[in-house]
Amino acid sequence: MEGSTSQIRPPSFALPVSPSQFRLPSFAFPNDSLSPRDCFEFNLPPSVTKLLQTLLDGFSVGSLYALVALGYTMVYGVLRFINFAHGDVFMLGAWVSWMIAKWLTWTGPDASPPWFAAIVLLFGSMLVCGTLGYLIERFAYRPLRKSPRLNVLITAIGVSLFIQNAGQLNFIFGTDPQKMPQLLPDVTLFTLAGVNFELIDAIIVSTAIALMVALQWLVYGTKLGLGMRAVSHDPQTAALMGVPVDRVISLTFVIGSALAAGAGLLFALEYRNLQQPAAATWVLFGLKAFVAAVVGGIGSMKGAMVGGLIIGLLETVCSAYVSPQFREVYVFVLLIIVLLVKPSGIFGKMETEKV
Amino acid sequence: MTSMTSMMSEALFHIENVSLSFGGLKAVVDFQLRMNSGDLHGLIGPNGAGKTTIFNLITGVYQPDEGFIHLAGKPMQGKAPWAIAYAGIARTFQNIRLFPDLSVIDNVRTANHLRKKHTLLHTLLRAPRHLTDEQTMMDRATELLDVIGLLHVKDHLARNLPYGDQRRLEIARALATLPKVLLLDEPAAGMNPSEKKSLITLIQKIREQFDVTILLIDHDMNLVMNLCEHITVLDHGQIIAAGTPQQVQKSDEVIKAYLGEPAGE
Amino acid sequence: MSEQAPLQPDLANSANVTVTTAAGRSALFPLIGLAVAFVLHRFIAPMLSPYHAGLALDIGVNIILAVSLTIVNGYTGQFSIGHAGFMAIGAYTAGATTYYGSILFMGHYDFAGGILSAPIGMETTSFFTGGDSLFLAGCIMGGIMAALAGLIVGLPSIRLRGDYLAIVTLGFGEIMRVLLEQSPEQILSIEQVKQTGFPGVVPHLGGAIGFGRIPQYASLFWVYAFVTLTLIVAYRLKFSSHGRALLAIRENEVAAGAMGVPITRYKVIAFVIAAALAGLAGGLFAHQVRLIPSTFGFQKSFDVLIMVVLGGLGSISGSIIAAAIVTLLPEVLRDPPSIWPVMLGLIVVLAIVRRKRAIRPTIILALVTIAWEVLRAVVGDLSPYRMVMFALALILMMILRPQGFFGIHEIWDYWKRKKIAANGARP
Repeated sequence: MEGSTSQIRPPSFALPVSPSQFRLPSFAFPNDSLSPRDCFEFNLPPSVTKLLQTLLDGFSVGSLYALVALGYTMVYGVLRFINFAHGDVFMLGAWVSWMIAKWLTWTGPDASPPWFAAIVLLFGSMLVCGTLGYLIERFAYRPLRKSPRLNVLITAIGVSLFIQNAGQLNFIFGTDPQKMPQLLPDVTLFTLAGVNFELIDAIIVSTAIALMVALQWLVYGTKLGLGMRAVSHDPQTAALMGVPVDRVISLTFVIGSALAAGAGLLFALEYRNLQQPAAATWVLFGLKAFVAAVVGGIGSMKGAMVGGLIIGLLETVCSAYVSPQFREVYVFVLLIIVLLVKPSGIFGKMETEKV
Repeated sequence: MTSMTSMMSEALFHIENVSLSFGGLKAVVDFQLRMNSGDLHGLIGPNGAGKTTIFNLITGVYQPDEGFIHLAGKPMQGKAPWAIAYAGIARTFQNIRLFPDLSVIDNVRTANHLRKKHTLLHTLLRAPRHLTDEQTMMDRATELLDVIGLLHVKDHLARNLPYGDQRRLEIARALATLPKVLLLDEPAAGMNPSEKKSLITLIQKIREQFDVTILLIDHDMNLVMNLCEHITVLDHGQIIAAGTPQQVQKSDEVIKAYLGEPAGE
Repeated sequence: MSEQAPLQPDLANSANVTVTTAAGRSALFPLIGLAVAFVLHRFIAPMLSPYHAGLALDIGVNIILAVSLTIVNGYTGQFSIGHAGFMAIGAYTAGATTYYGSILFMGHYDFAGGILSAPIGMETTSFFTGGDSLFLAGCIMGGIMAALAGLIVGLPSIRLRGDYLAIVTLGFGEIMRVLLEQSPEQILSIEQVKQTGFPGVVPHLGGAIGFGRIPQYASLFWVYAFVTLTLIVAYRLKFSSHGRALLAIRENEVAAGAMGVPITRYKVIAFVIAAALAGLAGGLFAHQVRLIPSTFGFQKSFDVLIMVVLGGLGSISGSIIAAAIVTLLPEVLRDPPSIWPVMLGLIVVLAIVRRKRAIRPTIILALVTIAWEVLRAVVGDLSPYRMVMFALALILMMILRPQGFFGIHEIWDYWKRKKIAANGARP
C-alpha cells in the first residue's frame, strides 16, 4: 500500500487542517440534541495543531525507540558489545505477534478478536522473542566470549542476516507483507486543539512506560538486577563475589529481547501494515534505536530512554518542518554530530583502554 | 630565560613538574627527571606507584595536567604517541604488546617504518626508491635481531615465541624506531636469574652499540641496583627518593614504602 | 588470537628483494594482467554463453569489491560495512557521466566503443574510441567521487571504536540510498539534456526507479584490466612497509602508535583507497547492468563482507576465491550438484597433509556434506535459502574457523610451509 521508504501512516498534519474546535468526548453526550459545541467553540491556529500533533507522534514513536534502545544498552552494559541483531528482534516481535494472531484465527476478514487480544499477543511475542534471545546468546555469542571483538561483531551480523532471511522463508513468514488485524478500537479519547489523542497512542505510551518502570524495578530493586549492575561494572569481580555471570548475561538478553518484542507488537498495533521481514524499514528502525542508545549514552538505561525520545521527536519534527522525504537522514546526521562532539553520549562515560 | 635554557640544554631528556589526576585520584604528582645522553636510569616503586603511568605520560598515551616533558629541548607533552616516537622516544610494554600474527622480523621492520624515505606512491609504483628503502629497513631489522639474538627465529610468528624471547623481541622492536631515549617497562618480568643476567648484558650492550639513553622500570632490586647509575623511587605518584643506588638503598622513605613501618606504637 | 590457526610463517614478506629483479617484475605484472584481460575478452568470451560471460563479469566486479574491502577490514582491522555506498557513488557518477556525456558530446546515448569494449558479436574497427574514453573518464570520476566520500565519512569516524564505525558506515550506506531515491528523475529526452547542459544535469539521477540507458561499455577486458589494477595495488600495498603499518594497526593499535605509525592517517588512507576501488567497481557495474537500481543497500554490503570474511580477513588470494564462490553460489544453489565426491577428496587430502589435526575439519566437512545432500534430495532448488545459508555459515565460521580460508596469509604460504617445517621451526 505504502511506498518502500516509509510505511508509517501519513501523519495527520499532512492532511489539510481546518481551524479546530475544542469538544468533549462524544460518549459524554449520548443524546445528540444537547451539544456543548455551542458553549466551547473557539478557533486555534493550525500551526499549534501541527506542533501538538508532531509532538504527540514524536512521543509515541520515541517510546518505541526507547524500548528497543534499552535492549542495546543493557547488552552493551554487561558484555561491552553491540548486538547488531537486536533490531531484528523488534521486527520479529511484530511478525510473531501477527503469526500468533493468525493461529488464534484473529486475522481473517470476518474475525472478531476479543478485547484482550492485544495483551495475549504482547505476552506471547515477548515470550517467544525472549526465548530466541536466550538461544542467540547461548549458541552464537557465548562461544566467542574470549574472541577478538571483530569476530563477535561479524557473528552479530550473521545472526541479524539469519533472522531477517529465515523470517522470509515460506514456511516462516513469507515474503508478502501482511496486515495486522485491528485489535484496539479506533477510538479518539479526546481532542485538544484539533489534535486527536487516540486510544492507540495512549496505549503505546503507557505500555512502554509500564515496561520501562518494570525494568527499572528489576534492575534497581531485585537481586538479579544487582547482579546485572555488578557484571556491567566488572564481570570478573562479580564472578568472584558469587554472581552467576552466565545466567545474568542470559537473562539480560532475554529481557532486552522481550522489550524489543513488546515494542514490535505496539508498532504492529499502530502501523498495521507489516513489511516483509527483510525490508529496509525494519533495519532502519533498529538502526535508529541504536542511534538513540548511543545519543543517550550507551550503557546507561536513563540514556536509552531519553535518547529514544530525542530521536523520536527529532524524526517527527524534522519530517514535519523541514522535509518528510529525508526522514531517515536526520537521525544519522545527529549521530555524526554526537560522535564528533561527545561520543560517550549524554549520560555515558568515556572508556579508555589500559595501556 | 635564555640563560636558564642554555643551562638545561645539556639534559637530553628533561621532565619537570608533571602531574596527572584521574578524576579525584592523583596518579602522578610533581614528577621530575633529568637524563643526559647515554644515562641508564631506573624507576622503581611499589605496585601502583605510578611508574607505568609515567611511561604513558612520556609516550603520549596520557596528557599531563601540568608540567613539561622535553626531548633535546623540544616539548613532547600534548603530542600524539606516533609523533613522540618519531621524535625519538621508544618503549616496551609491561604486558607484552607484540604484533602476534606477524613474523618476528616483520614486527621489527614495522617499527622502522617511521624512518622511511619513500612515500606510498613510490610503493605502489615499485619505484627504485621504494626498493632500496625496503632493503635498508630489512638490513636494519636483521642487524637488530642479530644483536638481540633472535635472528634464528626471524620467520616465526611472534605469538609462537616463548615468553622470554617475546620480551626481547619487544626491545628489538623498540630499537628499530632508532630512538634517542628507550623506555623499558619491566623487561625482566617473569625471567629466571640466568635470563636476567643475560638481559643485563644485553641492555648494556644496547646502550653502547646504539647510543641510546635508557629509562627502566623493574621490580627486581638486584637488577636495578646493578644496572642503573641513577634511580628515582616513586610511591603513590610522588618521588620519595632519587639518587645513586647506594643513596636510595639507605633512604628511610624507601625502606618505609617497601617494607612498612616497624610494628608497635 | 585464534588458537586454531596453524603456524604460518609470513614468508612472502621476509624474502629478500634485490633491486633489479623487483623493478623488472613491477612492470611485468600489469602487462600480464592486461594481456590476460584481452585474451579473456576476445577469445574466451565468444566461447561462453552471454549468461556465463555475465557471470565472469560479476566475478570480476566482486573481486574488486572484496579485495578493496579487505584493505580496510583485513589489513587495518577496521569494521566497515557500508561498502555498497561507495559502489553506488561510483556507479551513479560513471553512469551519469557516460549517459549525459554521450548526449552532450555525441548527440546520442548508444554504444560507441571500440574493440576493447565491444560486446561479443558486435563488429567494430577502431581500437579505442571517444566513447571508450568517456566511459573510462566516468569510471575514474566514480572512483574519485567515492574516494572523496570515503574521506568525508572516514575522517570523523575513524577515531571511533569498532562497533561505532560499523554503524556509521552502515548509516552512510543508507543515507546514500535515501538521497539517491529522492533525486530528480533522469532526463530522458535528448533535446532536454542538451538544453540543460552541464552542470544542470548532474542531480538528475533517476530517483526511485534507478538510472538507466547506460551503454554497455564494461567488457571482460575492462573489468579484468581493473581487476589487475586492484590486485596490483592490494599486493604492493600489503607487501610493503606501508602495508605492515596497516597490519600493525590491526594487530595492536596501541603498540603500532608507540612504534611511530600515525594511526588516524593510515586508517583514513586505507579507507579512502578502498572507497576509490569500490567506486571503480561501481562504475564497471553500471556499464554492465545498464540500469542501476536505486536500492543499493545493505544486501550488497553484506555480500562483500561475507566474501572478505570467508576468504580470510586480509588475504588477497582468499578474497579472490571467496568472491568467485559467492558469485557462483546462486547458480550452484539453483540446481545443487552432488558434492560428496569432492568432499571425500578434500577429506583425503586433509588426512594426508594434517594427519591427526584433520579430525575436526573432517567432521565438519562430513556434516556439511550430509546436510547438503539431504537438502538437495528433499528440497531441490536451494536458492531461496541462499542468504540463510550465508548467515549460518558466518555464524559457524566465527565459532569454528574465524580466519576463513587463509586468515591474513596467502594461498602460497601453505606451499612454502614445508620448507620451514623441514628446518625444524615448528615447535
